[in-house]
Order: sequence, then structure tokens, then C-alpha cells
Amino acid sequence: MRRSKPWLVVVLAGAFVGAVFAAVSTYDFVQHLDRQVHNLHCSFIPGVSHGAGESGCQVAMMSPYSSVLRTHVWGGIPISLAALSVFAFLVFYALDLVVTRRKDDPRATGFLALATALPALTSLVMLVISLAKLGTTCKLCVCIYLASAVCLIGGIALWRSAVREHRGSAPPDPHAERRDRHHDEPAFVGTAKTGSQARLVAVGVPTGATSTGFLAAMFGAGVGFVVLPILLYLALAPDHARFIGTCEGLPHPTDSYGVMVRLTHGSSSSSSSSPSSSSSSGTGTGTGASAGVPAIEVLDPLCPACRAFEQRLAASGLADRLDRKAVLFPLDNTCNWMVTEATHPGACTVSEAVLCAGDKAPDVIAWAFEEQDRIRGESGADPAAAARIVKQRFPELAACVGSPDARSRLNKSMRWIVANNIRVLTPQVFIDNVKLCDEDVDLGLEYTLSTMLDRHAHHALAPAPLDKPAASASPATPAASKPHGGTP
Amino acid sequence: MRLTRAAILVVLLAIPAALTGLWIRSADARLTELAAAPGEVAPVASASDVGYCNPELKRILRRVLLSCGLVGGDAARGCQPVQAKSVATMSGHDFNALFQPMKDRGGIVMFDKDKSELDAASTGLVDQVFADQRGASWFFVVARASPEGTVEHNRELSKARAEVVMTHLRQVFKDPDLDKEVGMLWLGEEFAQLETEFCAWKRSSSGACSPEQLNRSAFVAWIDCQL
Repeated sequence: MRRSKPWLVVVLAGAFVGAVFAAVSTYDFVQHLDRQVHNLHCSFIPGVSHGAGESGCQVAMMSPYSSVLRTHVWGGIPISLAALSVFAFLVFYALDLVVTRRKDDPRATGFLALATALPALTSLVMLVISLAKLGTTCKLCVCIYLASAVCLIGGIALWRSAVREHRGSAPPDPHAERRDRHHDEPAFVGTAKTGSQARLVAVGVPTGATSTGFLAAMFGAGVGFVVLPILLYLALAPDHARFIGTCEGLPHPTDSYGVMVRLTHGSSSSSSSSPSSSSSSGTGTGTGASAGVPAIEVLDPLCPACRAFEQRLAASGLADRLDRKAVLFPLDNTCNWMVTEATHPGACTVSEAVLCAGDKAPDVIAWAFEEQDRIRGESGADPAAAARIVKQRFPELAACVGSPDARSRLNKSMRWIVANNIRVLTPQVFIDNVKLCDEDVDLGLEYTLSTMLDRHAHHALAPAPLDKPAASASPATPAASKPHGGTP
Repeated sequence: MRLTRAAILVVLLAIPAALTGLWIRSADARLTELAAAPGEVAPVASASDVGYCNPELKRILRRVLLSCGLVGGDAARGCQPVQAKSVATMSGHDFNALFQPMKDRGGIVMFDKDKSELDAASTGLVDQVFADQRGASWFFVVARASPEGTVEHNRELSKARAEVVMTHLRQVFKDPDLDKEVGMLWLGEEFAQLETEFCAWKRSSSGACSPEQLNRSAFVAWIDCQL
């Protein structure tokens, strides 16, 4: 009977460690509710900060798999909060087994084994997603996965130990049930032939076993452990809807230069008409084949944040509700006088290729997103590399890329940017001329965008007053501060 | 025992809830604080305004642009030599000196004697210079004529040279802002003849560069100044 204790300690330790890492992960997530960029704790040692920059934790947290109900609450409910709750419940239940002296009860310990299976299975699913979809793992998550595995191992071992213990114990004690009601240590006769989980329900059938009512109560407690923090989270979550429409609008959205490119395959590559201002109908006023809400993206094809935004938008499922056009804004001083260095070397050349591509512009952008690391790297060492790479991949664009016409069109694209007082930052998104604030393009994308689309459908999406932004209007290097998700 | 169990339940239930509530409250407070006092943001896109755009140049530029119909809603297009001289209120040498810093932003389109047609090299140079607008707001076409011939003839000849460049730009670039950003001046032989120091600029002809040849030309350049 004493041999079962170490396994209970294993479960307790695993649950405690899991709770600590889940709490750190939840803290990291929750602090982003202020719409700012924060360092993440991304280490195998709880509480150690990873610092700024991309990490597996950053990728995981910004991915759509880090939370649920993203269209209902800004950022969604973090999965780690549920993990924290489950681990807290495991700690509670394990301690309760000690207090009620059920640590050798096959039914009670079987329930623990089942309970530990929940975080273990979830961890397995998340690990597969992490490797298959995100291509990376986060250290905090790995710690949670390991803690879950430890809990499962401890839980199963404890249960098997309890089953073995009772296989050879004395016949049923007629007074056992009464003792159980008094939380005394019960005596059980296990009926299971083996330690398999399938036979778990058969174990402890004899009088005196942990009652079904007890297990049901514990199940309810487990549900409560998960539900209560979530309800609290929903109740306390800040009202981010108040920020919608508070960022800059577009004073001159008309595409008089014909420089906008469609981001989905449509009837034309660029449009001379405006993605009209003022929401006049719920289906938008776009001029293309799409009936979505008109949206303008200011993007740089070699900007990692633009690529990440594209991926998040695709994952959100909201892209289909938009009629998207792009205005190219390469952050490369080869053609962009507003930056003092090539933040994204080669971006001017690739942008010209996009403008040259006509109906194929979405293909060129998609290719550029895929190859942007290589193009930036090679162009940093050799300024001619981007043109070479583009022409290798799209030989039909060779005559156009670098031509005066292409350069002039790209320049007009940036003049459109100037005319609209747009900040030197990519990506930026305007939904029917109302800016999706830079702070909302990553974690809060689904909530903010879906709310904007709903408001548009109800003719309630209004832009901020069209005053020139207060920041310096002089051409300069990009701001030192980094709003959410943007480059630089 | 019931009390112990209840205490464990309450404590373990309260810890995640309390932590979450605390963190959310903290984030909400920061959110409110930041909304009231926004932090540093990225600069706003703007046209170029480079170092050589000193107040004197801007004053001259504004007067030329006003007089030549580029700003202020005047329907007139281009400045004649007398107008250019009067609005510039400076010597021809000083007038030319204003353009010296724009060497990398301009070129000199060379014409044959008494001609005003663009050859392939000339259109290539015009296209190359004009396509490299970057953040410039103003494009100047300043046409001249060499002293051979009468003043009136040279005035008309230089006007024709300026207009052929403008026509070419209109045909090739189809820029809706063309009339608002291209300033034409035709100076004939009367004002601000180019001196040989301009031979070092990009020219459509790589041949000899005598003062006569240099002034059978249309000087084109972007000016990276905001008014």
C-alpha cells in the first residue's frame, strides 16, 4: 500500500510544475491585452525572459492555436488558462486523495488517471500542431507537455498500483461503505483481472468503493476549475472595441495612379477606381469581382510582418469577406526616400515585379512571401540579386522589372502613401478606409476585424477624423517603437 | 476533514482565478493609460525635403512655381525668359548655381542645332531621370538655345524644346500629377546660359561640350524640396 505514494507525489509534482508553466504562459498572453509588444518568458526555467525578437513562444502565442473564441474576445481565451485550471484541479484531486485516504482506491485513482489523460492528450495534439503547422516549438509549451506526460505516467502507475493492491486483499468488508462515508480509509476488493483502463469501471464495484456520486462531484469540480476562470476572464477582459476607428483613415483613397494590385485573382491586376469610401452597403463597394468589404493593405512583399499577417488573416477565415487590394510600400531606400537604409533589401525590385505582373500579382506576392528570407539575404550582399532571382522565377517580367515605367509606377505607389499620410510601417490595413489599428493586426486580429466587418454590415464603421497624424512629417528612419506586428 | 478539503478546493480554485483577474486588471490599467497618453509612433510618410532646400532656394522655387502656373491655380503653363528673370531676381549665374546640388537628380538633353526633336538617347535620358522621382515634388524642364540666330527665334526654339520634353513625359508616363509637378522654363539665349561646369552632368550626347552645344538643350531635374 505504501508503494502507491511515490506515484501520487509524481502526479502532484507534475501538476504543480505544469501549473507553474501554464501560469507563466497565461501571464505572457494576458499582458498583451494592453495591445503592446512585450517580452515573453520563453525558457525551461520558469520566469526567465527570452527577450525581444522572434522565438518559438512568440510564434506559438501569435498563432491561432494559442487561444479560442478569438472573434468574441480580443486575443481569445488562452489555452494556457485552461491548462492552468486543469493542473490546479489535478493538484486538488491528488491532495484530496491523500486527505480522504483514497490513494489506494482503484476507482478514485482511475479517475485521476483519466483526468491526467486530458492534458496529456491535449499536449499531444498541440505538439503535433506545433511541429506540423508552426514548424517550431516553444519552450514553455514543451515544459507543459512534459508535465502533462509526467502526470499521466504517475496517474496510470498509481491506478495500476491500487488495482494490484486490491487484487490480493481481503474480501469485502460490510462496513466499508459506512467508513467511506466517514472518509476513513476504505477497504476494496478489485474485480479487474488486469490493469487495463477498459476494466476500470469494473474495479471497485463492491460496496465500500469510491461512490459514483463522489466521482461525479469531482468531475463537476474539474469542470468548475476550468469554467470559472474562463468566465472570470470573459467578465474582466478589457473592452477593445472602443479603439476601433480611432486610428487614422485615408483622406485620399482614390487610386488615381492605378497602382493598387488585387490580392486575390480577379478581373484585373490594378484598378483605377477607388475601393470607395463610406460604407454604403453591407457588401462593400469594391469594383472587382469580389463582393467583399473593400480593404486596402499597405505592404512590403519582403516584410516578415506582412507575411505573418497574411498567414494570420488566412487562418482567421475572414479574408473571404474582404475585397483586398494592396498598395506597395517597400521599406528599401533604393527607391523609398522615407527610410535611410534598406530594412528589406530587394523590396523595391520585388515590388516592381508585383506591379509588372498584372493578373499574376497575387502569385508574385505569394512567391515573395515564401522566398523573402533568401531574397533579403542575397540582396543584402549583392543589390542586383533581387532582380536576378525575380527574373529567374518570372522570366516574362524581365523586360519590365527595372524599366522606367515600373519604377515610375512604384514611385506613384509611394506617392499615394504620402498623399494619405500613412505611417512608415508595414503592414497597414484599411477596412473601407478605416484603419485596422497597428496594435490589432496580430493577437487581436480576429476580434477587431470581425467587429469591423460586423459594423460595416450595419453601416456603423466610421473612420477617425481625417487630421494629419501628430507625429513628425519629416522623412526619417522608421520609429524606434514597434507597434504590434509591424515592420520595422 | 471536510473543512480541509474545502479549504484546498477554495485555495486551488482561487489561485488561477485570482492570478488571471489580477493580470487582466493590470493590462486593462495599462491599456487605459496608453490610450490617454500614446507612446512613440512611426513617422508619417512625406515627400522629400533634402539638405540643399535652404530658405533662399525655397523662396525662389515658390516664386517660380507660382509665376509658372504650377501652384496657386494659375492656368498658365511655363515661364518665358523675361518672367523667369524677374521672378528669380538674381543673375543667371546664381540662378544656375541653385541647380548645382541636383547633379545626381538631373540630366541635360542635348539637341541638334536649330532642332527641337528628341532622339533615342534623349528620350532614354528623360525617361531615366523622370522615373527616378523618389520623394521629389517638382520636376523642372529648363530649355535654352545657343546664341546663334535671333533672340525671338531662340526664344521660340527653347520653348519648343521644353514642350517636346513635356509632350514626351505626358505620352510615356501618363501621370495625373504631371501638370502640377513639371515646371517648364524656356530661356532662349537671354538668361542663365549654362556654363561648361554642367558638362559633367549626365547628357544625352557624349560628344563635345562647348558652351554653344551645351545650351542647345533642355535641362531636366527633380527638386527634392517641399514648399
